[in-house]
Amino acid sequence: MTAITKLTTVELKLLVREPGSMFTVLIPLFILVIFGSSIKPGDTVLLPMSLAIAVGLVGLYMLPTTLATYRERGILRRLSTTPVRPGSMLAVQLILQLVLVVATCGLLIAVAGTILGADLPDRVLSLAAAFALGTAAMFAIGLLIAAVAANGRAANGVGVLLYFPMAYLAGLMQPTSQMPVFLARVGAYTPLGAFRQALQDVWAGGTPSLLLLGVMAAYAVIVSLAAARFFRWE
Amino acid sequence: MAVIEVSDLTKQYADLTVLDRMSFSVEEGEIFGILGPNGAGKTTTVECVEGLRRPDGGSIRVLGLDPVKDGRRLRERIGVQLQHTQLPENIKVWEALDLYAAFYAEPRDWRRLLEEWGLADKRDARFGKLSGGQKQRLFIALALVGNPRVAFLDELTTGLDPQARRATWELIKQVRASGVTVVLVSHFMDEVEELCDRVAVVDRGSVVALDTPAGLIDATDAEHQMRFTLMAGEATDPAVLLGGLPGVSGVSRNGGQVVVTGRGDFATAVTATLARNHVLVADLRIDKRTLDDAFVALTGRSFHR
Repeated sequence: MTAITKLTTVELKLLVREPGSMFTVLIPLFILVIFGSSIKPGDTVLLPMSLAIAVGLVGLYMLPTTLATYRERGILRRLSTTPVRPGSMLAVQLILQLVLVVATCGLLIAVAGTILGADLPDRVLSLAAAFALGTAAMFAIGLLIAAVAANGRAANGVGVLLYFPMAYLAGLMQPTSQMPVFLARVGAYTPLGAFRQALQDVWAGGTPSLLLLGVMAAYAVIVSLAAARFFRWE
Repeated sequence: MAVIEVSDLTKQYADLTVLDRMSFSVEEGEIFGILGPNGAGKTTTVECVEGLRRPDGGSIRVLGLDPVKDGRRLRERIGVQLQHTQLPENIKVWEALDLYAAFYAEPRDWRRLLEEWGLADKRDARFGKLSGGQKQRLFIALALVGNPRVAFLDELTTGLDPQARRATWELIKQVRASGVTVVLVSHFMDEVEELCDRVAVVDRGSVVALDTPAGLIDATDAEHQMRFTLMAGEATDPAVLLGGLPGVSGVSRNGGQVVVTGRGDFATAVTATLARNHVLVADLRIDKRTLDDAFVALTGRSFHR
């Protein structure tokens, strides 16, 4: 087995053993199932919301906490004394956190589609585009947190602190129709808000507006660049 | 044959000169100690040698390779244990060894390392559940799993209890016996004295002395003491008898207790004189001169500030 496949295998085991992964699966699933029992058939809001919550939790909580902890514990530094470059660990982590996102969202869609009888979108390409850009934007923010946080606990704290206002502005705490107009308007252009709206547009049978996709792409690129600028290996 | 050659190594951070024309060489098969107080530049030195840091000046050759230019090839051949490094809490001992073995082209059999380092019964234990000594043994095993020619061990026994330290020392001697050159960074005098074939004493970014531990102690010629108790009824005045011997600088007496102070090998002269004059003494003790004394003599200040 090559070094990278071995690294991926071991990191996958560690991800499964990490209690945080379980929470990022269970929290959106819990919200989906609890509120799912009282939704109307053909609802296009709840499933996109729970998907946005899942991606938000992985991007803002799992990814930065893992990376900042690895730096804090000198694991990246230790790797740089071996023939394997620490950048490989970064790549492996990004791939595995993406796997976690896909697995969680797959589970949510499967549960919603079967047990709750929710509609599933037929515009696969639009869904993939919204999903890819939304995930990229949330991961970019996670990378920026990992870059600037002093240690794993700080990254965890920043992630949680950022999550709640972002989730509120995105309309994940209460429907945007019940939010103050100004906040709802601003929230639509936050990464998580644009993501939720884009998913909702897909579920409603349309295509997400180019503006929303552009907003997510812009966040992904600009925040990633900032993360790359501030990232430290030690 | 020298496996490491460092000459005129310099490194600055902003205005602070961390390394100032540091030079030394490490011979194949020895345990080479780098000793100095915290902040002397020990860790920066080995990190430059390992290729983790880029020096500002001077030259480094490790196994004939330049750590900056030939980093990839060099990292295949060295093993490193870093200060303050941990593993993920939930990784199992065998997984860590198996993983690190996969990083190298010609690794050692990690199952044998597990046996050698007394970790066989901890094979499936998670890193977070290991004791300090077990973690340290795992780190050494990880430094060796790539089958290195040179192993760098940085502050290996910090935080270990005395028993675990002793056990670790024995293991380091085994590493040398297996043919691996060891570079040991330490701020513990006793550790360096016990383990190292040669020691570079580092202070303020340069090597102030380089010799065997015994050579360093002898060369500094620090004043030290011997003590004995005169047998009851012994009438000889030790100050008269011993005061003029070569090397002796003082004799003091408190009842039957005598303390002789001097430099060099004055103890041999004192015991010979006592025997020749049939002076019966008990509890004869020579205070062991240590690297601590040598360090004070070399740098003009105490090691433990």
